[in-house]
This record gives sequence, C-alpha cells and structure tokens, in this order.
Amino acid sequence: MRTYTLLAHNLTWYWRTNAAVLLGVATATGVLGGAALVGESVRASLRDLVLARLGNTDSIVTRAGFFRQDLAAGTPIIALEGVVDHEAGVEVYGMDTPQVLITAALAQELGAKPGDDILLRIPKPSPIPLESLHGRKDDVGRTIRLTVGQPERPAAGISDLPPFSLRPQQGDVRAVYVPLSRLQRDLNQPGKVNTILVDHASINLKRHYTLADVGLRVRTLEKPGCLSLESDSALIGDAVAAAAGSLGFRIQPILTYLANGIRVGKREIPYSLVTAIDSNLAPAHDDGITLNDWAARELGARVGDPVTLEYYVWRSDARLHTETAPFRVERIVPLAGDAADPNFAPDYPGITESRNLRDWDPPFPLDMTRIRPADEQYWNRYRTTPKAFIRLARGRALWGTRFGSLTSIRVRIQTGLGDFPPSPAFAEALRTALDPARAGLTVVPVRAQSLEAARGATDFGEYFVYFSFFLMVSALLLTGLFFKLGIEQRTREIGVLRSLGFSVSKIRTLFLLEGAVLALAGAVAGVGAALLYGALVLLGLRTWWFDAVGTRLLGLHASVPPLALGAAAGVVTGLASVAWTLRGLRPVTPRALLAGDLGAAWLGRRFRLPAATLAVLLAAASLFAGQTAGFFGAGTLLLVAALLFQSAWFHTRGSQHIGGLVALGLRSVRYRPGRSVLCIGLIASATFVIASLEAFRRDGSPAGAFQLVADSELPIFQNIPPLEGVEFIPFRVHPGDDASCLNLYQPQNPRILAPPPRNPWPLLDSRLPGGTVPAIADANSMTYSLHRKLGEEFELAGVRYRIVAALQDSVFQGELLISEENFLSLFPDSAGYRFFLIRTPPGKADEVARTLTSALADYGFVVQSTAARLASFHKVENTYLSTFRALGGLGLLLGTVGLAAVLMRNVLERRRELALLRAVGYRPRHLFTMVLAENVFLLLMGLATGAVCAALATAPAVFARGGHVPVASLAILLALVAATGIASSSMATAAALRSPLLDALKSE
Amino acid sequence: MLEISNVTKQYPTPRGPLTVLSAVSLSLDRGEAAAIMGPSGSGKSTLLYIAGALEPPTAGTVTLGGVNPYTIPEKELAAFRNQSIGFVFQDDCLLPQCSVLENVLVPTLVAKDRAVYPARARELLRQVGLEDRLDHRPAALSGGEKQRVALARALVLRPRLLLCDEPTGNLDEASAEMVAALLLELHAQQATILIVVTHNPALAARFPKRYELRHANLHPAGA
Repeated sequence: MRTYTLLAHNLTWYWRTNAAVLLGVATATGVLGGAALVGESVRASLRDLVLARLGNTDSIVTRAGFFRQDLAAGTPIIALEGVVDHEAGVEVYGMDTPQVLITAALAQELGAKPGDDILLRIPKPSPIPLESLHGRKDDVGRTIRLTVGQPERPAAGISDLPPFSLRPQQGDVRAVYVPLSRLQRDLNQPGKVNTILVDHASINLKRHYTLADVGLRVRTLEKPGCLSLESDSALIGDAVAAAAGSLGFRIQPILTYLANGIRVGKREIPYSLVTAIDSNLAPAHDDGITLNDWAARELGARVGDPVTLEYYVWRSDARLHTETAPFRVERIVPLAGDAADPNFAPDYPGITESRNLRDWDPPFPLDMTRIRPADEQYWNRYRTTPKAFIRLARGRALWGTRFGSLTSIRVRIQTGLGDFPPSPAFAEALRTALDPARAGLTVVPVRAQSLEAARGATDFGEYFVYFSFFLMVSALLLTGLFFKLGIEQRTREIGVLRSLGFSVSKIRTLFLLEGAVLALAGAVAGVGAALLYGALVLLGLRTWWFDAVGTRLLGLHASVPPLALGAAAGVVTGLASVAWTLRGLRPVTPRALLAGDLGAAWLGRRFRLPAATLAVLLAAASLFAGQTAGFFGAGTLLLVAALLFQSAWFHTRGSQHIGGLVALGLRSVRYRPGRSVLCIGLIASATFVIASLEAFRRDGSPAGAFQLVADSELPIFQNIPPLEGVEFIPFRVHPGDDASCLNLYQPQNPRILAPPPRNPWPLLDSRLPGGTVPAIADANSMTYSLHRKLGEEFELAGVRYRIVAALQDSVFQGELLISEENFLSLFPDSAGYRFFLIRTPPGKADEVARTLTSALADYGFVVQSTAARLASFHKVENTYLSTFRALGGLGLLLGTVGLAAVLMRNVLERRRELALLRAVGYRPRHLFTMVLAENVFLLLMGLATGAVCAALATAPAVFARGGHVPVASLAILLALVAATGIASSSMATAAALRSPLLDALKSE
Repeated sequence: MLEISNVTKQYPTPRGPLTVLSAVSLSLDRGEAAAIMGPSGSGKSTLLYIAGALEPPTAGTVTLGGVNPYTIPEKELAAFRNQSIGFVFQDDCLLPQCSVLENVLVPTLVAKDRAVYPARARELLRQVGLEDRLDHRPAALSGGEKQRVALARALVLRPRLLLCDEPTGNLDEASAEMVAALLLELHAQQATILIVVTHNPALAARFPKRYELRHANLHPAGA
C-alpha cells in the first residue's frame, strides 16, 4: 500500500464526483483555450485570405499617375476603383486576362452572367491636377462597355481566376478583371500602368525609373540654347524643383500663367500668357511688370502706367475665383530674342494645340466676345509667347498651387557661354538626385502591410476571453462546487484519516494530488473541448453571427499556443479551485469531521462584511477606470461583494418563524451556506453577462441633423444639382482602410476626411507642436479599431496625428477627420469631394436621395440615410453582443447544472430528514414544495444579484449613451431565464425525490 | 501510562456553556482495560476523544506516556496519534475505496518503516479471521467483519492506547460477541491500554474496570 495506491483508489472509487470535477476543469480549459483559439483562427483566416488574394505579390510599384509597364520586373496591372452598373466601390484591375471577368460576388449583385454587357465607369487619368486651373473637373470619369466573358471552368463561378485583390478585406471580392491592353487603350495610356506587382521585396526603383515615369521630361530648346524641365501636369512640384536646383547647374525657374486680361485704363488685352521669371526680362520690383512692345502698343501703355492683371484661381473651396493684381509698367521690351520665346508656356490641353484663340477649349469659362482680331493675329504669329513678365516671387505668390509653383525649369551650364548640358546627362543627374517616392512613385510592401492588417482590428481572442471570463468562472465555481461536494461526501473519511494520524497537511496534499490529477486530466480533455468550442464559435461567426464579421471564410486554425494557454490556465485555475475548497480543513476537529461536519467556511464571519464593503468600494473606484475596464472590474468586484454579503447573511443564525413549507424549505439555504453562495454565484455570473450585454444593445438610431450621407466614387466639385432646401456639407476624402467595425483587418492607413473650413470642430484647426496633425475619430473606431486613446499621438505613413476629440456613435466610424488645410498639405493630389452630409427638408429625404442618386449616377454617388448607416454599425455591435450573450447562456447552463447538482446532493444528504417528514405525514408534493422553494430562492437570488451588479457596472456606459436602458427586453430576458431555471429546478427536484426515501429510515 | 486529570469539557451554546465533563480523572497503566458506560449524551464519547487527542479539553490535562498531546504542534500531534493511539468507532469508518488489507495499512502510509507493516497487517487479519478476505472491499463484508478490520487497523502500528467507541453498537449479538472476544484477546496480547465506551452491559462486564459517566462525572460502575 502506497500513497499513490490510495490516490488511485480515491480517483476510481469516487469517479462520479471526480468526473464532474474533471468536466468542470475541461470546461474552463475549453472555454479559455477555445476563446484564444477563436482569436488565433480569425487572425490566421484573415492572413490566409489576404495572402490567397495577393497571390505571389510581395510589393507593388505604384503611382497616382501612369508609368511604363516595364519599369520593374513584375506583373504590370492597372488598379482602379470604379462603378459597374451603379454598383460603386468595385475594384477594377486591368491585367493579363484574355477576357473580361467579374467575381462571383459582383456577378450576384449585378445579376450578370457570361455574355452580358456591363457598363464600367472609372476615373479618367489626367496628368493635370484636377484642382488646378487647367484640370478638367467636368470630365473626371470614363465609361466603358464591357462584355462579361465565359470562364474556362464555369462551375468555379463566373470568374475562374483566383479573386485577386490588393485590398485587405474579409468580405467577398467585388472586382472586374479587364484585359490590360483593352484598359490601356480605353484610358489612352498605351504601354503604361499605374501598378506593377512584384514578387519580391527588394526593388531598386531608383536604378530603373526614368523621369518620364514620374511625369517629367527634359526638352532641348535650341533657340534660347537651354534645356527645359517640364512636367506632364504642367506644374513642377517643390521636391523636383529642389532636386533640380541641387545639381550645380544654372537653373532658371519659370512660372507662366494665363491672365484673363491685361488692363491699362480702359484698354484690355484678353487671355494672355504672363511669365514670372527672374531674368533680364523681369522687372526690378515686385509690383513692376515688363510688357512686350506689342502689348504696350495694344494697351497704349507707357513706363510708369498702372496695369491690372485679371486671372482665374482655383481655391481650396473648389471654386474658380476671378482675382486681380495691380502692377506698374516698368519696362517695355521688343518682341524679339528671349522675349519672343513661346516655350515659356507648358502644354495646356485644349489651349496650346489650338489653331485660333476661338478654338480654345479650356476647363474654365471664356468670354469669346473679349477676343479681338489683333489677339487672333498675335496667337497666329506668336502662339504662346508671353505678353508680359513679372518677378518670379510675385508670380508664385499669385499663382502658386499645392501641386507646385513652377511650370518649367530651364537649365544652362553654369560656366558656359550659351552652351547647355546634353539632355541625357542632365536627365540622369536629376534622376539620380530625385527620390522617386518624393515624385509620387513608391514601392508599397503590400504583403507585409496586409499581414500586419491581418492581425485584426478586433482581437477576437481577447474579446472572447473577456466574455468567456464569466463562463470560465462559472466552470471553475462548478469545479469547486463538485470538489466541495466530493469532500463533504468524504468528511468522515477525512476524520478517520485524522484519527489514524494523518496530519492536516498530509490530507490536504492527498486531496491536492487528487485535484492535480483531475486538473491535468481535465486540461487534457479541455484541449479537445477547446477545439470543439473554437469550431462552434467560428461556425457561429460564419452563420448566426455573420453580421459581426461579414465573411463566411473564417476557419478553425488549431495551433499550440492558445491550446497550451487554455490547458495551463485550466490546470492552474482548476488546482486553485481545489485548493480554495480545501482551505477550510484545518479548523475542523477530527471529531467534527467524524460527525460529518466540515466546519465553517474559509472566511471568518467577522471578515466577510468588511471584505464585501472593500469590494464595493473597489468596484466604485473601478467604475472610473474607463468603460471597458470599469465594466469588467466593477462587475467582478460587485459580484464578489454581493456574494460576500449573502454569505455573511447565510451564516447568521436564522431565527425566523417557520410559518409554512416554503419557510421550512428556505431554512435549508443556511444548511450549507457555501453551497448556496456558490449556486447564487453561478447563476449571478451568467445573469450578469446576459443582462449587461442587453444594456449595451443599441436598437434605435438617432436621426441627427443630417438625414442623408453620400459617398461618391469619382470626385465632385460644384456639379451637385441645386435642390431647394437641401444643404450639402462636402468632405474631401483620402482613400484608405475602413476603420469601422465593418472591417476585421487592422486599418493600416485609415480613410481620412476633411470637412470644409467652417465646421463644428475648431479643435481640428489647433496648432500642435512638431507639425502634429489634430484629428478627430469616432470613439468606437478609436478604441476598438485603431486602438488609440483620446489625446494619443501616433504615426501613419510618416505623418504624426493626435486624436483631439472623439465622436460618440457617429457616422464617421470608418475614418479620421482632419482640417482641410492639413488635408490639402498632406494629400495635395486629392481632388474634389467624395463624402457628403446632406440635410433635407422634413419628409423629403427619400426623394432627395433618389434625385441625387439618379443625377450623379456617373460619379458612383451612393446615398444612404444616416439612420441606416448608423444601424449598419449597430448591427455589427449588436451581433457581437448576441455572440457574447450566447456565452452568457452557456454560463447559465452551467449554473443550472450546478444548481441541480446541489439540489440532488442536498436531497441525498437529507434523505433521513425527508424520510422522517414522510413518516410523520408529509406528502411528496409537500417535500417537492420545500425543496423547490430552496432552489427557486437560490435561482432568484442569483438572477437578482447578477442583474443588479450588471445595472451598476453598466451604468457609466448607459449614461454615456444617453441613459437608454432596454427595460422591457431586459425584463423579458430575465423572466425567461427565471422560467427556464424554475423548470429545470422542478425537474431536478422531482428526480431527486423519486428515490424511495423511507429506505433511509429502515437503514437506521 | 494514561493519565486523565481533572478534565472538564464545555460546549458553547446560545444559553451559555454546556458542561459535559466536569473535573474527570482516570488513570490506567499499560495492559489495563476499562469500560465506560453511561446514558446517551453523558459525555462518554467526548471523554474518549479527549483521551485520544482528537478533541482538546476545556480544562485539565491528558498525558500518555508522559506526553500531553495538546501541548504539541499539529504535525507532531498527528504523528503522536498515528504511533500511540488506535481507534475503533461504532461505525467501522473503513475507506470504501480500499480493500480490507489496504484499509488496515492506511495508518502506515504516514508512519515510519512502512516495509514491516504489510506482514503485520496480514497477521492481524489472520488473527481476526479475515485472512481469506484480504482483497475484498468493505462493501463485501458484514458489519462484524468490518469491525474486525477496524480493530486490525487500530492495532497495526502497535498503539499504546486503544480506544473503542461503541465497537459492537451496530452488531448483532453473535458478531458483537466475536468482536468483543477479539478485542480483549488482542488487548491482552499487545498489552495496550484499552478503553471501551459502550452501552452494552455484557461487553462492559468483561472488563476488570468499569466506570459510569453520570452528571459529567466518572464513577466506578455500581457505585
């Protein structure tokens, strides 16, 4: 006989109790391991999904404009976003495919099948910035009619290509794949693309790119004898200008602008080019102007005469403004030599190629009546030769834009006399000096970014662990309860061992060893349970709780760390639970043990009330620690406090009059106070989860000041149709990742919006040290997607932001808001407005939405009611709550099992008492009433405890949300829980009393 | 030698302390045996448990071989009980999960020199007539057989003091007779100090010293 022999006997002899303990540990392990596994599986699924969609792509070479398709070794594609048959937000890829294919998801949306025609509307590429004077704002898109091709394997869906996508998204890919050559032809970009997929990370762009790839060209001008650096955009950016200036050549920056009129007194020359340049043609003073002699003659101007230049400027309010600037004639030069150079002006589409002035087709209004025959003659003879010259600084001040403030840079050899460097040498020097990224040509490590994003905006593991916490506690309480029942069952055995000379510590060690074996076995079984639990939760996320994740592509990814974590936690907590149960052995005398009395509970009576009070105080303090931490911290502490109070109460000597069967039954609550408190704790934990989640549920959506929100696929300027009584607040948009709860991927570069300058958020305009950009985020997105706090600074794509305010339950859940000034500085290439808040007259919202959708269909203008957009966010939130409520339901199931076990055990222990009552004339229904009264009391106490603690713990969050409490649904829910509990208690009572009680008397 | 001197035992009640034993004294030498009788609730078992170091007295002292068990730490007390005292209870208090032999050997699990005891356990079980039931579980035994196992278990570590609380209380007459005979025989063999608490006059009559507990005091039987 060895100790382990006794241990083995104990384990097998009390197998029922031990199996229950083992199952409790297995449940705790399964819940924790499963929760962690869900998090790991979601991450792995997102990772697999994004990698499958990226294919071999590691990085992409990309630019806002187009560049040579053989710039880098890789797969050249055109990647755009467009509108297909009014379905906006469609990914458009021009790639190596023999026919037009669309993804199954898009086909389903469109109801399209092979052979059908679809209309694709995509942004029209334009090297000229849309928000510059010469940008064509009324012609931003191009419509292409495509015929959907027949996939080689129709059974695989409408597209037999893997659903290639560069966008990390958990939902189905909505994309159209167009033959590259077709798209290049339709976009008039032969041999050019805007993206090259590269299957490796190390790309030396600097070695391979040419100036043409970043929209630059170097022209040799024989007549003045120089090189001219020009840009496809007609504007040279500051980075390029700085690089050109750093080469050691003598450079001459030039800014040529179109003046609507040059006026002296009442005489005017319309539509003339004016060049700002610091050369021998320039005046000496900033307010001076040099006229060529043709202009001076036409204007009748003499040196010293005042001159007014009238011109258009495109301001950041997306409007064309006519402005004027006063000058004084400082010089009049002959229209010859340098002054007769038509190459000062860049190529302006619609202007420079025109044969006559009247043929001009600029993207701004022209008053043809102002054009005189003399002007036509000048155009015919001198073309784009400027009629006036001003100083460069003045010109840049008047006409500089965020895209650049030069139209060309002329280059001469610094030491030469009229000689200039060979064009290739200068181009190579500039190319080497210029960082292609500064010119907009970048390498984006999409695979690395996508993998980072696949870590997930929402740590499902963390959330499931949070919400499984109470379920786990329930399982551990149940473990403790069963172990306690087992020990109570063996009280006399412990007494015998004590009388035989076993010390308390020896006995405790023996039980701890038993507990350790059970905890280990439970943890091993729990690993299987974790796999099952994880698989079930993922199944739920794919089906019942689809709205929370928006994808059916999540799969179980069994990995060791979460399972090991669950198993380790199961062993530790299981053992702790056993140790906790054994804590009361010491104070009990062997004689008491032999009499079957396990003695008082762990915490002396005098400590319970102070401990409970302390817990209440800590709970109150934790309510101020933030909503989430406060909720969990306060909730746990409040539950502990409530249970301590109840424990103290049950341990007081009851002296109430026994007035009936119910009162007699309730006396039994005090018979085993520990058991009663554990039962209440089990029910209360589950009720707490269920009730608190119900309080977080959002059913209604506030109307707000704006009834509609709209997104536009293509930028909109001032072409919104005027509607009576309808107010539009346009926002600039820098496309990026959706930062709302609708996106499971961690947003790496969230979408950024800029409201117009007059907005209700003056904090956006605050100046922060170090150039930090003030930003406003939706509170939920900030916390759960971006994982930031109010006031926190963080960096995105090299820009430092600080969240200066958070919006509660707003429509801006997918983006960050910054000021327009900062926006235009950070994203100068962004043009127009693509997001709108729309205020409509009462009752007109639907009509306005229909009108706008129809009128702006070409822009991919999608209008949605604000309430619907908020509801879509709330739907996700509510689905999460449903998910977690299901966990609460499981907890309740455990609670009910615990209650039933206690009931059974109590009846078993009190068989002699109950038999005696039968002997003295009690009928079975009397006993049923007594036993049921006790259990219903425990059930109701548990429900009340959980509900009250939930109400207190959720109070800060409820008040923050406007104090709305779904009382009715909560009451119905609790009533259902109570009814279920009473029904199961009734069944357990009936089962427990079914055994022949009178035998208990006979055995006496 | 067992020396119980002026032992008083009181239990707290809402109405004040209840005195169960009042200045009880008893002295027994090695090899002596005594039976204690008395009505239910008179404190017989309490006195037995106090003598067996299972329940401390409110006042007075108990010494066994000169050692007062209530003055030593819990671990040493457990070892003291293990080595010096054997118990037989009214209910056999056998471990249902262990076989007969294992039940006898349970005390040896916390004793020194464990190797010598299996043979002694077998010998004791042979002496109580259960040598062919070694591997049986308690559930397979009759009440008398269980008490015989309990007796063997109480003696396996050669205790100086053997305490029996109604050892025949749950047995039929024949079984009770057999258990009583074995008890006295083994007591004689091992020269233990034996105290038996019983309601059974026939059993008490077999003891040379008999006492009665009345009104919290110990009186010689018949006095």
